[in-house]
Amino acid sequence: MPAKLVVEGLTHHYPDEYTGESVHALEKINLEVDEGELVTVVGPSGCGKSTLLNILAGLLPYREGIASVDGVQISGPGSDRGVVFQEHAILPWRSVAKNIGHGLEIKGMAKEEREARVKDFVDLVGLSGFEDKYPHELSGGMKQRCAVARTLCADPVIMLMDEPFAAVDAQTRITLQEELNRIAIATKKTIMFITHAVDEAAFLGDRCFVFSARPGRLKAIVNINIPRERRIWADMNADEEFVSSRDEILRLVREEVSVAVEE
Amino acid sequence: MSIVATASIAIQRRFGRQRLRQYILGSIPFVVLISAWHMNTVFEWLPPVFIPAIGEVWDAFFILQEDCAGVGAALTLDNSCLMSTHILSSIGRVILAAVIGLPFGIAFGILAGMSRPISKILEPIGIFANSISGIAWIPLAIVWFGVGWMTTLFIMLNTIFWLMFFNSMMGVRGVARVYEQSVLTMGGNRLDVITQVYLPGAMPSIISGMRMSMGFGWRALIAAEMIGGDSGLGFMIFSSAEEFKIEEVFLGVIIISLIFLATDRYLLMPLEKWTIHRWGLVWKPT
Repeated sequence: MPAKLVVEGLTHHYPDEYTGESVHALEKINLEVDEGELVTVVGPSGCGKSTLLNILAGLLPYREGIASVDGVQISGPGSDRGVVFQEHAILPWRSVAKNIGHGLEIKGMAKEEREARVKDFVDLVGLSGFEDKYPHELSGGMKQRCAVARTLCADPVIMLMDEPFAAVDAQTRITLQEELNRIAIATKKTIMFITHAVDEAAFLGDRCFVFSARPGRLKAIVNINIPRERRIWADMNADEEFVSSRDEILRLVREEVSVAVEE
Repeated sequence: MSIVATASIAIQRRFGRQRLRQYILGSIPFVVLISAWHMNTVFEWLPPVFIPAIGEVWDAFFILQEDCAGVGAALTLDNSCLMSTHILSSIGRVILAAVIGLPFGIAFGILAGMSRPISKILEPIGIFANSISGIAWIPLAIVWFGVGWMTTLFIMLNTIFWLMFFNSMMGVRGVARVYEQSVLTMGGNRLDVITQVYLPGAMPSIISGMRMSMGFGWRALIAAEMIGGDSGLGFMIFSSAEEFKIEEVFLGVIIISLIFLATDRYLLMPLEKWTIHRWGLVWKPT
């Protein structure tokens, strides 16, 4: 079965916003994401992982290398790639239900069909009863659930997530991680999840791509062989596979952090 | 419980405590002003030729409307219905200028906010026009359009369009990029971004722009009517002053303020409530 997402020899430079100097963000990235797989991308800050996501989302043009989804080369934003952003990116002027149905509305789906589908996703992320609320009336965790539902409801080929749980408190974060795991099981969606938190990367990923410090290279791939159904935080600290995978990722990331500090 | 307390509770229930409080607080300056005005009549600190009695101003309204044949005549701006003709022609001019000036100002402002080249083209001319906007254009407008509604419309459009343009442009520039990106990644096009991101996102700025442009627009209108108009409240104030009908001058000023207050209260505030308050885009005073 061919991979859903293929990246080959992707290299990227961009001019620094203030100094104008060329920043070497990504160096010859090769990676593949298979159908139904959840991969996590982890690395020290400034390793280019957000640059990679922006390129895959089509928000950042690239020149060197290839990036394709379902065999179609990425050349701009498109509804085949859904994005869950780091900040709260759901629109403040739309109610929860209207935010979740936004992608389908853009696609031109009829109202009745859309509303039925929206209801499924409202239920899936546990926002029942909040359909008519506006984002400012929701907690940080609920906003991100809404953002996840909005992306999933449009049924993209792949869901790209850019540190989506970084801004919520620790308690909410572990709940959201467990819920994302449950949603990934339920929807069988192909997901690329970017994070700087090692625990999160090990808990969520089928595989974890560890990036090096700038220029970002794919340094290692860590397989995490824990069935999705078994992934519950209460059990993880006693799970040998989890602990060893996490420690392995942590070791790889810390090598890079010390490199970055020495520079 | 005393009758007063019972009545007080009933009134509070009827109107809502917050709203009642708001009305009472808001009316304090007016009560003070009106009291002082009335005391002047009683004690004659200033002679009635400068400050007329409240009753005289009230009567002036009906005296001006005295010869009016009826609602039909009033609505067709018949010259016999002096008061209503002045009021309606001013309001008509404001509505006309708003209907043209607001949408165009918002549209060009949004375009300039999202496109560097457009803003580079329009910004300098906007600053140029804004620096001399309003009454400074009146002499030129009279030369071009003569005395009448074209002159007043031109003066008002100059004010409304550019204020709306700058406010909408700034509003669009303040909208977080991530909203635009999220619509694009859901397959949205430029038009989706304009209607679903820039327009609602710039709403706080657009509404304050409307408030400013209506405020300055009214002021410009009154000035334009005084010099370059043939009817309207500004014309009425000016011509009454020339004839030393001080009560008519007062009446005109009060009516202008009341109309503006009503516009703010019954058009702009509901719009604000329906949009930016509901969306949580502004900080609400407690």
